[in-house]
Amino acid sequence: MEELKKKLKEQIIEALNLQDTKPEDIDDNAPLFGEGLGLDSIDSLELMVLLERQYHIKVEDPREGRKILQSVQSMAEFIQAKQPA
Amino acid sequence: MKGKCYIQAMAAISPQPTFEGDIFSAQLVHTDSNLLACIEPDYKPFIPGNSLRRMTRVLKMGLTAALKCSQESGITIPGPIITGTGKGSLQDTEKFIKEIAEYKETALNPTPFIQSTYNSVNGLIALQQKCTAYNNTFVHRGFSFENALLDSMMLLQEGATHTLTGAFEEITKEHFYIKSRIGFWKEAPTDNRELYRHLSPGSIAGEGATFFTLTGTPTPQSYAAISDFRMLYKPRGGKLAEALKSFTTSPDLIITGRNGDSNHEHYYQELDQCFPGIPQLPFKHLCGEYDTAGAFGLWLAAQIIKAQQIPATWFPGTEHLSAPVRTILFYNHFYGEQHVMLKLERV
Repeated sequence: MEELKKKLKEQIIEALNLQDTKPEDIDDNAPLFGEGLGLDSIDSLELMVLLERQYHIKVEDPREGRKILQSVQSMAEFIQAKQPA
Repeated sequence: MKGKCYIQAMAAISPQPTFEGDIFSAQLVHTDSNLLACIEPDYKPFIPGNSLRRMTRVLKMGLTAALKCSQESGITIPGPIITGTGKGSLQDTEKFIKEIAEYKETALNPTPFIQSTYNSVNGLIALQQKCTAYNNTFVHRGFSFENALLDSMMLLQEGATHTLTGAFEEITKEHFYIKSRIGFWKEAPTDNRELYRHLSPGSIAGEGATFFTLTGTPTPQSYAAISDFRMLYKPRGGKLAEALKSFTTSPDLIITGRNGDSNHEHYYQELDQCFPGIPQLPFKHLCGEYDTAGAFGLWLAAQIIKAQQIPATWFPGTEHLSAPVRTILFYNHFYGEQHVMLKLERV
């Protein structure tokens, strides 16, 4: 799980071009939107694309997306749950 | 188009140091790569970091030039925003198309798609400046900026107090290559300082973002008045000479879009014959050739008529004006298709 979160943070930084942000600057449980990283609605679409491209997971229900994209922790838990054991 | 408008403020990001500092003492930037790329300023004073991270080059250049122009004009919230671009954000377009192929039309990133649309720069200006007035982008190859200008002049005639009018264009490696295949650029590496001495097929590529604040009434800060304006599409059989002669009789200076392209040099030769003895300054060795290079040419003409001075190092051999410049004829064409004449007057 720790390894997955580290990788996810690197992928988020690259996908969203978060200049001046390092993986260690992102708190696992900090909100990604509004406060915390201060991402916006376009970023949420980009994160959906990231999940699809990197983990082959398609989020069909936008209401579900809201919960999944709350934090790095919630994203990692979702990826882990969807990946075959 | 009759009816005057006035250039109240302007800003240009170009391959020359035009964004900051004194252009009359600036050095000429030169290259023999057949591609003049823009000198990009520090965008951080103009665009918040969180917005900047998503923008590609032409969006940053366009938005920053527009914001600098607005700052110079003293107008905090612009009225109508009208722009022209031949190609818009090529970088975003290329990225989006490549991703369509790479991901087989699935999992497509929305940002390059959104930003590849031509009106992205206008939208960004309006969002950042909280401007809800008229907003339009014209995309008509070599008439893109000119249609934006025409629209602006009509809005001013209808009573708008000012417009933010501009143009933006970028060149990418891919686009440079595609256009080289269809003969847009010279085959031999050509130094831009020698552009007019190497008459051969094609020109050199360029790019830029130029914005103007136009007003319906002059002020002591006005750079110049645009007092007449004409567009001609593919003029044949003496139509150009006829149009030039009827457009103006004896300008004090002519600014031309001459670009060293032997395929279309004959149009500039017609201009020479119409106005023998009148000094001319070509501008394409400064900015290269692109759909909206005319905006840069207009910017240069307005600088010269206001300062009554020529940027000396940019025009070796014609460092000084021999007489006061009250009127300038600006003539440019884009690969022989879209021809533009503008008349500038000193305010």
